[in-house]
Amino acid sequence: MSALLPVAILLTSLVPAALIFFLAQQSHRLRNALCLGGAVLKIALILWMLIAVAGGATHEARLSLAPGLVILLRVDALALLFVSLSATLWLLTTIYAIAYFGTKAELSRFFGFFSLCVAATTGLALSGSLISFFIFFELLTLSTWPLVAHKQDRPSLDAARLYLLYSLPGSAALLWAVIWLESATGPVLFTDPPDLTGLDPASLRAIFVLFILGVGVKAALVPLHGWLPAAMAAPAPVSALLHAVAVVKAGAFGVVRVVYDVFGAADVAALGVGTPLAVLASVTIIWGSVRALQQSEIKKRLAYSTVSQVSYIVLGAALASPAAMVGGLAHLVHQGLMKITLFFCAGILDERAGVKRIEGLNGLGARMPWTAACFSLGALGMIGLPPMAGFVSKVYLGLGGLEAGAPWVLGVLAASTLLNAAYFLPLLYRLWFLPAAADARGDEAAPMLVVPAVVTALASLGAGGLAASALSPLGWATLIVERGFVP
Amino acid sequence: MSGLIDGTPWPLAVLVWPLLVALLPALPGGTGPALRLLPVAPLPALVFAIWGNPGSTAVPDLLLGMHLGAVPAGMLLLGMTAAVWAAAGLHAALTIGPDRKAAILCGFWCVTLAGNLGVFLAADVVTFYVAFAAVSLAAWFLVVHDRTAAALRAGRVYIVMAVAGEVALLAGLVIGMHAAAGTAIADVRLALSAHPAALALIMAGFAIKAGMVPLHVWLPLAHPAAPVPGSAVLSGAIVKAGLIGVILFLPDAGGWGATLVAAGLAGAFGAALWGLTQDNPKAVLAYSTVSQMGLMLMLAGVGQAAAAFHAMHHGLAKAALFLLVGTLAAAATGLQRRATLVLTALVAASVVGLPLTGGALTKAAAKDGLDPVLSQALTFSAATTALLLIWLLHRLAQSAPGAAAARASWAWLMAGPLALTTGAFLLPWLIWEGQTASPLAAALEPGKMLAALWPVLPGAALAIVLLRRPLAARPPGDLLLPLMQVAGLLQHHRLPQAHRPAAQWPGMRPMRLILRLGRAEALLQGWRLSGWLMLAGSLGLALLLIAG
Repeated sequence: MSALLPVAILLTSLVPAALIFFLAQQSHRLRNALCLGGAVLKIALILWMLIAVAGGATHEARLSLAPGLVILLRVDALALLFVSLSATLWLLTTIYAIAYFGTKAELSRFFGFFSLCVAATTGLALSGSLISFFIFFELLTLSTWPLVAHKQDRPSLDAARLYLLYSLPGSAALLWAVIWLESATGPVLFTDPPDLTGLDPASLRAIFVLFILGVGVKAALVPLHGWLPAAMAAPAPVSALLHAVAVVKAGAFGVVRVVYDVFGAADVAALGVGTPLAVLASVTIIWGSVRALQQSEIKKRLAYSTVSQVSYIVLGAALASPAAMVGGLAHLVHQGLMKITLFFCAGILDERAGVKRIEGLNGLGARMPWTAACFSLGALGMIGLPPMAGFVSKVYLGLGGLEAGAPWVLGVLAASTLLNAAYFLPLLYRLWFLPAAADARGDEAAPMLVVPAVVTALASLGAGGLAASALSPLGWATLIVERGFVP
Repeated sequence: MSGLIDGTPWPLAVLVWPLLVALLPALPGGTGPALRLLPVAPLPALVFAIWGNPGSTAVPDLLLGMHLGAVPAGMLLLGMTAAVWAAAGLHAALTIGPDRKAAILCGFWCVTLAGNLGVFLAADVVTFYVAFAAVSLAAWFLVVHDRTAAALRAGRVYIVMAVAGEVALLAGLVIGMHAAAGTAIADVRLALSAHPAALALIMAGFAIKAGMVPLHVWLPLAHPAAPVPGSAVLSGAIVKAGLIGVILFLPDAGGWGATLVAAGLAGAFGAALWGLTQDNPKAVLAYSTVSQMGLMLMLAGVGQAAAAFHAMHHGLAKAALFLLVGTLAAAATGLQRRATLVLTALVAASVVGLPLTGGALTKAAAKDGLDPVLSQALTFSAATTALLLIWLLHRLAQSAPGAAAARASWAWLMAGPLALTTGAFLLPWLIWEGQTASPLAAALEPGKMLAALWPVLPGAALAIVLLRRPLAARPPGDLLLPLMQVAGLLQHHRLPQAHRPAAQWPGMRPMRLILRLGRAEALLQGWRLSGWLMLAGSLGLALLLIAG
């Protein structure tokens, strides 16, 4: 049983993916049933596993491809955090995507890759060895490309090209790092940290840099972030997937795995690479916010905001103190909830009101109160205003910075808060306070678009307001850190 | 595992009730009932402040573990705040019609109220911070309610300073939490004495809220811009959130006493004098608030226990004064007008501290055991206060009668300020015991009363001169005026709200530096760089193979 469960969870999105590719475009009902059925089944299985893991059990499934190449699916508390986040948001995004696309063209292709993308993310989350991590990481890259290019217009194809342009060198760097490291240590399993004594510090530093280059492309670390703002040309459900569920999260998750399970917090500190990574994350936080300030397209502004916010997670990992780690891991969930809310709303505004630029937001609050309210909640959370979830991450990252002897982190967080306020508050002001344009239209007669946004907005409110509860993302992050990373 | 709530649930109920009312306007047809509930929203808090037991309550699952439990100063200010919000809520319910603007006002009115009550009840820093953020940020909606150009400009200055204050406060509190290894306010306060930087950040946050010179610049813009009931709660109750912050967090040692005394005195006298250049009665009152808050910050800075006692009187009186400005505009007959002005004069006399008024008592308590120089300064402030408030009465008497369209009957509007005035006059007598060590009789000695009275005479004399030759009128904002000219904000504000690319607040242009950043980033998005990286990667792998 214990070996079956991780595989079953992976199959809940892999099997629908395999079937959907062969469905005719017109068989909407069957396709939707497969997508939703897979998503619901996955959540059920994860709930089952959550209860078991909270009680201390671990699940493992192992497959040896060749000597030294072990595909290992293993469920620990960290894997569960990521997998439950992506599964929950996947269900909501599926509902949203079904309503968003309606009966548009090429849906079997889209939902096939959509499911494949989530299968890759699930595999990535459950990976227990470096090699399986790498394989799923690459699968994720490849399955996302058709989603970004889905519209097949000029901007989408350009964005998809740019995505590969950034991802392929990243993959090369990651592969190089894996080979270099494993050639010295043998297969790396995340459960028992590899023996790094066979490598000199200079090589270890180089390997660390290669790892960060590899996963940093997906985590959109400056200067590897250029693909993400361009990818906003993709349809809204894909943006939601890229920004909150799968891709950038995979990068951030990869940073966490590299720092804690490949090198170990102590070695990262001893090699002196933690602080430079924290500085890089801080530069990304500020750079992304400053660039967001400049954008006048809603989705582009949100994309740069993601660049900035995902680096909170990297910052938490790099600081390598328990509180920072808790803050970073909690933010993995918090950012996902808040950003997916914002992208859901951006998609609704585009679909129902034809609004793509911030000027178009004027006065929409009266016409589309639910969307505008969810957007406002997400934006306030991003700024880090209580009681939204973002504020909890900020408090813990600040405490973590002080624990790690890096009080400058507080300055970065403060600057980020001010910049976030500067680029989000004017949007809210436009939504609620400025008069609408004479030709403004827009309605909310699409419950399958609006309800997912409401659910995630309320969840990000709950994650902050009930942060101290054991069931909150913060509670789960605390559990992970207490179990695994106490230095 | 402990229960959902440990201890008495009443403090939590006090906070939850206004938040429930805040949700009402979101329902269809809910705005009318919500408006009518505004006076009732703070009543549980009032009842709790009078009869409740300030014991501790813990709600372990909320926020980062919510702890409630007021110190005596907090309970005193909690009661005052509840009374002020109830009276202002009555005024709002009587004067504001149930339209869309009112729905927004109602919702955020209650959120602001909950935050305002929360700062007095919080026993852990996270709850305090959340409440402080709520009272700061939600109050923006009170400021901009009228949507006039002046209100929106005041709102812009307000939100910039409020967010800056939030950020400073949170950074300081996080350092405090780390140093104290816990979130209890008492522990953090102790730990702060060893962390001057954190203390400075926290004090900056409180100073902005309490209107401490020179961080007060938002206050004379925002308080007059709000509708009358909004001004009343801003000036009477909300500024006290900054004061309770100083009372709760300022450690006995830390070197902030001198700063607060200096800034407090500068505000006490400077703001009173600048207020004489104001024509709008509400702007005069706003400067009076800066002036009075200066005195309270001075008292809190030296750790004077009666600071909250004095603040309680000021809150009741100042809210009454603001509400009376609104009531006067609704006075239909000459008699109603005169009665309103007489009540205003009575409240003003109490603020000045004429003998036997409530203000005289709280001032006497504040002087008890105070450094003689500061005590003299407090005495002398009666001169500038008298001057400013006589100017206020003059401006009110000059105002055009019946200017406002009377939505509500004058008699009902009088009820709120009348109740607050009664409280301001009587409460200091009733609760004198326990606020200060010396007996009530000591404050009533004729010699002491005379000593407190003399500065009023030169103040009044100067006022008579001033009424004949008024100072040149100036726009509110004092120190902000040159600053805004430099920043060009005033010019931008005059621009029409046209559609501009990349505009933040309507009227702002993207900075050149930001445009350059964009160009720098474009360099990274090409095949050339990516190809180069791939080549380097392949070479590296090849080297690895050769070496292996």
